[in-house]
Amino acid sequence: MGKLVSAWYLLAAVVLTLVWFVVSKLVDLPIIPSPVLVVENLADIFMKYIAIHSLYSLWRIGAGLLLAVAVGLPLGVIMGYFPQTDRFLAPVVYLTYPIPKIALLPILMLLFGVGELSKVFMIFLIIVFQVVVAVRDGIRAIPNETYYPLYSLGASFKDIFFEVLWPASLPKFITAIRVALATAISVLFFTETFGTQYGMGYFIMDAWLRVNYLEMYSGIVVLSLLGLILFTTIDLIERNACHWQYK
Amino acid sequence: MISIENLSVNYKSDSDVYTAISGINLTIPEGGTLAVIGPSGCGKSTLLKAIAGLIPEYEGTIKINGDEVNPKKQTIGFMPQNYGLLPWRTVIDNIRLGMKIKRAPELLDRKVLKKLMRQLGIEGLGHRYPTELSGGQQQRVALARVFALQPDVLLMDEPFSALDAITREEMQDIFLKLWQKNNVSTIFVTHYVEEALYLGQRIAVLSASSGNINRIVENPLFGGKDIRQNPEFFEMSLKLKNSIKKDWNQAWEN
Repeated sequence: MGKLVSAWYLLAAVVLTLVWFVVSKLVDLPIIPSPVLVVENLADIFMKYIAIHSLYSLWRIGAGLLLAVAVGLPLGVIMGYFPQTDRFLAPVVYLTYPIPKIALLPILMLLFGVGELSKVFMIFLIIVFQVVVAVRDGIRAIPNETYYPLYSLGASFKDIFFEVLWPASLPKFITAIRVALATAISVLFFTETFGTQYGMGYFIMDAWLRVNYLEMYSGIVVLSLLGLILFTTIDLIERNACHWQYK
Repeated sequence: MISIENLSVNYKSDSDVYTAISGINLTIPEGGTLAVIGPSGCGKSTLLKAIAGLIPEYEGTIKINGDEVNPKKQTIGFMPQNYGLLPWRTVIDNIRLGMKIKRAPELLDRKVLKKLMRQLGIEGLGHRYPTELSGGQQQRVALARVFALQPDVLLMDEPFSALDAITREEMQDIFLKLWQKNNVSTIFVTHYVEEALYLGQRIAVLSASSGNINRIVENPLFGGKDIRQNPEFFEMSLKLKNSIKKDWNQAWEN
């Protein structure tokens, strides 16, 4: 099974590279270099220049993600399990959810400075709402009958959380992260174009301004691989933690 | 022994108070079974939930072995209509769940569990997930889960209603066998008169409108051999059906 999945990934990579190759040959302009040259360049400069940038980006995503989970999961559980709190909190969430988070960036930068904190907080803001809503809905969808045998045995909230709430909301929660992560990476790119000299966003924009298309494309490839690593990690976690869903 | 005196449950919404059951009196002797039969919306499930300690606010008293009902103190096995199995736990973990919550590792005897699973014909299914099982198999797992706890009371909400007729009769036989071995005081809700007659030593008929007990019928046929084939069984179920119909029709007309 695992081998088969990897084979499909490989095929997708080959097809995309082929398309890229054909287009570069057809256009024949420096703005679309051949993938062969890009890969050569990447091998050359990855350890020297790019690795540190990708680690910075990864760190920002990781920190924002952890923060979003630490806040969003308890909030979603509370809102899903105690309807009274949802009545009060749902309007708050729904009023703030549709605000494009990127619009808050100037405020974040004034509050937290242009450095790391505002970037991490931006990612946090993008992911946290999805997590809250997904976890809450996941918990709401649990039929009452699931709780009754446990309540009648005197189950504590801790029992209910670990036996029911956590496993029931886990798949929704992982899906939410998967969806939010794509947006988070794009926004991260944007926030990394100023106030820092590290991060894939900075690297790509910097290469572009220096009209070094080979480096720019190397950066894009690395960003894409970064996304692939994040998504496959999430997939792997889901396969292991939500084993029962694949039966 | 379970004794219920003058039990009433009201549901309060923002503007309204709705009486689900009122003035219920019942006793179930140690190791006895009671069938509760009644139309939908007559408060059957409310009654069962109250005995299970799931409804914190009620009037009257519910005593299990002399003590007021308390899920933390007594062991109350509750089997909901859809079995209440956790889809994210394997069969064996579902069965063990009750002991985990009761913090009763002494019940976690492998041999006893194995024997119980063998009696229920699910010994090979321990590592499967509930969604991989048929309805009848899920029902067996739910039975294993409650019986493994050796509960003070067993409560079942329309236990076999989701099964096809043949599987249902099979499950009823399996239940009876387990019940005879374990002698657990049992209350179950049903809308099948035949099920009430087959599994209930006594049958409480709830009234359609007022949320109280219309009458309690002693079941002389209970425990007899192959009573389903017995002409008396047909006769009695017909009689019971007709009288229930009459009562419910009256309630409709009012």
